[in-house]
Amino acid sequence: MDTSQLRTILWLRWHLTRNQWYRGGWLNKAASFFVAGAGIVIGFGGAVAGLLVGALVLTKARPLVLLGIWDVLVGMFLFFWMAGIVSDIQRSETIDIGRVLHLPVSLRQVFFINYIASHLTLVAILFLPGMLGFAAGLALGRGGLMVLLVPLAIGFIFMITAWTYCLRGWLVTLMINPRRRRVVIAVVTFSFILLSQLPNLLGHTFGRGRDSQPSAKETSPSTEQTPSPDTTARRPASLPRAWQIANIAVPLLWVGYGAMSLAQGNVWPALWITAGVFLMGGLGLRRAYRSTIRFYEGQAKEGGRPRTEDKGRIAAQSRPIRTSLLEKALPGVPDEAAAMALAYFRSLMRAPEVKMALATNFLMLLFFGAMFLLRRSSGFEDVIKPFIATGAISLTFFGLIQLMFNLFGYDRGGFRAIVLLPTPRRHILLGKNLALLPIVACIAGAVQLLVTFAARLPILVVLATALQLPAAFLLLSTAGNLVSVVVPYRVAPGSMKPTKVPTLTALLMFVTHLLFPAAMVPIFLPPGLGLLASRLGWAPAGAVNLALSALLLVLFALCYRVCLPGLGALLQQREQAILQVVTHEVE
Amino acid sequence: MALAIETNGLTRRFGSLLAVDGLDLRVEAGTFYGFLGPNGAGKSTTIKMLTGLLAPTAGAMHILGEPISDRRKALEVKRRVGVVPEDLALFDNLTAREYLTFVGRMYGLPLPTVRERCEELLAIMDLDHEDKKLTLEYSHGMKKKLTLAAALIPNPDLLFLDEPFEGVDAVSSRVLRDTLKRCVQRGATVFLTSHVLEIVERLCTAVGIIANGKLVHQSTMDDIRRSGSSLEDRFLEAVGSDQVERQKLSWLEG
Repeated sequence: MDTSQLRTILWLRWHLTRNQWYRGGWLNKAASFFVAGAGIVIGFGGAVAGLLVGALVLTKARPLVLLGIWDVLVGMFLFFWMAGIVSDIQRSETIDIGRVLHLPVSLRQVFFINYIASHLTLVAILFLPGMLGFAAGLALGRGGLMVLLVPLAIGFIFMITAWTYCLRGWLVTLMINPRRRRVVIAVVTFSFILLSQLPNLLGHTFGRGRDSQPSAKETSPSTEQTPSPDTTARRPASLPRAWQIANIAVPLLWVGYGAMSLAQGNVWPALWITAGVFLMGGLGLRRAYRSTIRFYEGQAKEGGRPRTEDKGRIAAQSRPIRTSLLEKALPGVPDEAAAMALAYFRSLMRAPEVKMALATNFLMLLFFGAMFLLRRSSGFEDVIKPFIATGAISLTFFGLIQLMFNLFGYDRGGFRAIVLLPTPRRHILLGKNLALLPIVACIAGAVQLLVTFAARLPILVVLATALQLPAAFLLLSTAGNLVSVVVPYRVAPGSMKPTKVPTLTALLMFVTHLLFPAAMVPIFLPPGLGLLASRLGWAPAGAVNLALSALLLVLFALCYRVCLPGLGALLQQREQAILQVVTHEVE
Repeated sequence: MALAIETNGLTRRFGSLLAVDGLDLRVEAGTFYGFLGPNGAGKSTTIKMLTGLLAPTAGAMHILGEPISDRRKALEVKRRVGVVPEDLALFDNLTAREYLTFVGRMYGLPLPTVRERCEELLAIMDLDHEDKKLTLEYSHGMKKKLTLAAALIPNPDLLFLDEPFEGVDAVSSRVLRDTLKRCVQRGATVFLTSHVLEIVERLCTAVGIIANGKLVHQSTMDDIRRSGSSLEDRFLEAVGSDQVERQKLSWLEG
């Protein structure tokens, strides 16, 4: 590949990016330019700041301090780098190899260009100059052996980017099958969310252990001793020791270990590490290249058992026709609404991204709910209990807001079928709302069960909550129908990620999320007024809570019924605009 | 004879681009109508407007005698219409059988009818052995066949088919042609677009040619045959291809 071809490919990349920015409207264009500009300024600033800190501030810092700083830097970089991978996982390579291989360029050349271009991300622009600047600053400030830190840092970056590239290639191979593609995307996203929450969970778990220790000691006066000077001296050394072992064993933490060794005047570990990171990077790149070749030669393993057509045909012929879920009727629901509800429900339950998102929300609710509830070993005061129960409902719905407030975004091309249908649009909205009902009932039911036992809720509160749940569902369904019709957005297949929404839509989505607590205020009225009534001595709080919850349910059911035809008419009026949004695919 | 499709001054703009320019279309009921035109002429835009997928910038449309700009009438009309749009209309996470069941129920068909028609349509489109496959795993041709099946399931009075044979294998194409002929024989109207003039010539009883958003020719196939020219000749003449100055491309000659 000559320089002219290289320039042409860079020109192509730039035009693809620019067109993507321009398509989102002027606000999006301005925001994109601002973010890109800010990224470059911050990257450059990071390099200068790193250089200054390394050269002027940390000239006398202890080796362990350097290790700690590098580990933190690397940890932050890796976190955002992983987040970048998760968000970019669906994007094909910078230059799709299949689109240029008919031109006079070799596979190897395009592969290396793509690898180089994979560095051009916001995270890399923000972090890499800072890390390299910091390494250079330390070399300048401390001189001597510290100069070796610069190639080490470069090698580390090479290792990370090469293996990331390899990982992406592997995932692309896995995702040849569109069905598995969505599972891969969902699992990666789900794993990343859990991984990012791990420190939080560990903090809570160990934090709880530490909190409980003093209370145990309080009971035993003999343990109320000031720690001996020996213990105090040993305690800070024990943590870095464990940390040092991690730094030796985990390649991702090798930069910190190399910096510490160099600060201690020990050159060999740094040299070995430098050689190691370059070697591992080279291996990663080689593996990525081989995967690319296999992929384009069609040798990539798709996995799964091959299913012959004949087998399927015979099976289909011999299989008796069963009543499928989509043929079922729902009592009291118009047939068209029932068909919509069942089709949408089945669709959602087959979408791995939706299942993963729901599972994540559910697990988070369980984890944090359990931590919050179980910490209070002494139990809650009776006046707070109704609010805890109502709050749990509120939190449950917060996790479902993306589904409830974007009813058409997941349909994508399927929304075209809805537009073509002769069905009254109110039945479509009703069907979509009903499809979410079992999901809401399952998650909220499990959460309420946990709250009921953990907080030892009185029966009246449990009954009131059982009424507040459908009331909140009706309220949010009404609001969700309106928002779905007015501010629709497309969700990329296989993820819960909105596809390059215009800035105005993104702002409206943000405002919707921000206003969610305000929308939930009405369901806090029954426990609030119950408390007020009991304080004023008018009536017992539980009875008022229950009665008002029943009233609220009736009120919101009426509101839903009254609003539905109007919202259906609005949907019919706006369906062509919605179709444009949810089917418009942005590269 | 009653008109299945009637448009007056139908216009659609995309910014400064005039995609459809004051289209006056008359399609009689019971006709097999071929709507032809070069790429970008406005065929798909017209079908999208006629089926309610796209709002017109100006003009009036009557489908099966009803004004579809009236929202209440529009739903009644849709009940009698089947559509294969340019960009297919499928739900990714449903199987073919589920999708057809869904469409059948949404058209208000009784469940036994839905089942019976599902079986027949899946068999005729050779999709009956793909029971476990979701539509997202289908090839383009299979998706096209499923969309065709969905358009046929309500047994509509009017069928809009945008490039129905594109990507469909020869066997299914033959079956589909026969099915469409039977629809017309029982009095239904078929409005299709295709780039394959031979298919249109063989199937259609009337044709309309659109170029640069304007209807430049409309006649019956019998008229064309009587004039002694072929559909291709008439098409090339209507879209003005003889006026296009050919570039010499002298460098190709070496």
